[in-house]
Amino acid sequence: MSVQQPSTVEPLAALPAQTGAAPLPEWTALGPVLALVAAGLLLLLWDTVFPNRRTNTELSVIAAVGSLAALALSGWYLAAGTGRPATGGAITLFAEAITIDGLALFFTAIVASVTTLVVVASRDYLTDHETPGEFYSLVVLAAAGMALLASASSLATIFVALEMVSLPSYALVAYLKENRGSVEAGLKYFLVGAVSSAIFVFGISLVYAATGSLLLSDVAAAFGDLGDLAGVAGVGVVMMIAGFAFKTASVPVHFWAPEVYEGAPAPVSAFLSSASKAAGFAVAFRVFTEAFHLGGEVTAVGIDWALVFAVLAVVTMTLGNFAAAVQTEVKRMLAYSSIGHAGYALIGLAAISAGGSHNGAVMGASMAHLFVYGFMNTGAFLFIAMVERWGVGRTFEDYAGLGTVAPMASVAMTVFMFSLAGLPPFGGFFSKYFLFAGAVFNGFWWLAAVGALNSVLSLYYYSRVVKAIWIEDPTDALAAVDSRPTALYGAVIVAAVATVVVLPGFGPVIETAEAAATALFG
Amino acid sequence: MSDWIAIGALAVVGIGIPLGMMGVSALLRPSVPEQGKRTIYESGEVPTGSAHIRFNIQYYMVALLFLVFDIETVLLFPWVVIYRPALNAGVPMARLLLPMLAFVGILTVGLVWAWRNGAVEWMSSPRAMRRKTERNQP
Repeated sequence: MSVQQPSTVEPLAALPAQTGAAPLPEWTALGPVLALVAAGLLLLLWDTVFPNRRTNTELSVIAAVGSLAALALSGWYLAAGTGRPATGGAITLFAEAITIDGLALFFTAIVASVTTLVVVASRDYLTDHETPGEFYSLVVLAAAGMALLASASSLATIFVALEMVSLPSYALVAYLKENRGSVEAGLKYFLVGAVSSAIFVFGISLVYAATGSLLLSDVAAAFGDLGDLAGVAGVGVVMMIAGFAFKTASVPVHFWAPEVYEGAPAPVSAFLSSASKAAGFAVAFRVFTEAFHLGGEVTAVGIDWALVFAVLAVVTMTLGNFAAAVQTEVKRMLAYSSIGHAGYALIGLAAISAGGSHNGAVMGASMAHLFVYGFMNTGAFLFIAMVERWGVGRTFEDYAGLGTVAPMASVAMTVFMFSLAGLPPFGGFFSKYFLFAGAVFNGFWWLAAVGALNSVLSLYYYSRVVKAIWIEDPTDALAAVDSRPTALYGAVIVAAVATVVVLPGFGPVIETAEAAATALFG
Repeated sequence: MSDWIAIGALAVVGIGIPLGMMGVSALLRPSVPEQGKRTIYESGEVPTGSAHIRFNIQYYMVALLFLVFDIETVLLFPWVVIYRPALNAGVPMARLLLPMLAFVGILTVGLVWAWRNGAVEWMSSPRAMRRKTERNQP
């Protein structure tokens, strides 16, 4: 897409370009993060002033306005070309600890849109909860951490941002204090997360020991001349892969995902499996392309990390899809499908080679897939939130005949399922198509073949949900469907509309993503 | 390489001497099992009860709030040290003061929220009170 906007754009849009009449000061590039932080603090203040108010409409509105502001700012910056090579390159702040470029803004937009859907839907999910203020502030502050994670370009900032995401997530998973499943999931998530964080920070310390710097650009420079310390750096890189695998729910640290997504409140599952996973991929993309770039040095050391990711991608998508096929509960099936999609997105890191001609294309396609996935997966989990709210049940059999009592939401769920499976008329098809095509063009046809085979398998279990909703006869359990939660309905419908609208609007998305990814390889 | 041999020898001697002393004394000493030898040493006090008890979660809340001030102090100190020299060097006061005010302000929002939502109110649990009184009964 053209980066130089016509003069109809306001002068403010020229923020980084130093070409417009009045460019914004540099710190405003952090605007999306600041909007989320401000919303989080405002939520705490609101809860301080009215601690005993039981309705959560106002909280929901504050959180939604904050995340919409972050979405609008990042969308505006993306459209104006902030941080692109054409407008003066990436903006670095705080002595290069933070870099705002296309990648950061793209993933901030994903996180902000998922957060908006989740906070709106939570209004009905937590309608009779005693302390809703905590929930909203934790969600919004975790989203701020995710946006920061996408723009962090120093290993120290990355670790702090990672913890900013993790700590609220543990509390959110265990949010239903009276529910045994929720508390158990929170404990499991915390234990696995604490171990992964420890391994990750150990990896950072080894990389720092070998290179003498925490800044990604300095690390990359030092990797050319490691000498005896090559082995130390190699172990560090492998340990950091384990940390990313935890955040993105990929093999080998994927086993927490089914338990946690099943036990957590459904909006939190949606938030973690879409936004948190996307943020994990954002930082993995940045670290591995900027610090440990495949320019020969790392390979000379002995870590061909693209090969590691190729193995992990194949194992992750196969394991996720096969396990999803044998589940009896819909939420658990979606959790395994989320692992499978992490495998698809890993192709973005696996199917690249030093000097490959389509490196930017395949990583950009992976980013676009995470964008579409953000809508369709969030929507699917929010549909489950609605079913949980009705108290219908959790298994495929319990979903029988839902189409007769809630046709609109069921149509939306059908869209999500077919889009997740990658059927042609929906957004999921295009992102997968570009991803596999990029892998083939870059010479990794076998990765694309495994991905395509897995997509065929996934159609089986996704269509089970559709069959239960529309074809099977209604059961008595549907008598529980008595209310019409407006906000939840709205969020599900908006997610479905977004999944379909991506169809004509996919051009700008994939172009923005590919431009952002190509800039990383530049 | 020779350095490592010395370290290895030191390690062997360091492990060998205590193990040897324990082994020799186990062979030589008479065996007199006695209750007093097996109790936990508590500075001469007679130990009462088990160490595996549940602490009131409110201690934890207070410790968390303390942490807010702790971190605040750690980060305020270097700022205080550079404040005057930076001011003399011509850095505008707003640039020096505003970031720290924002930082303290964020922490204050969190503290006030916790206070208002009852984190520092010392609630008494009826169940714990009942247990305590039962235990004190003769």
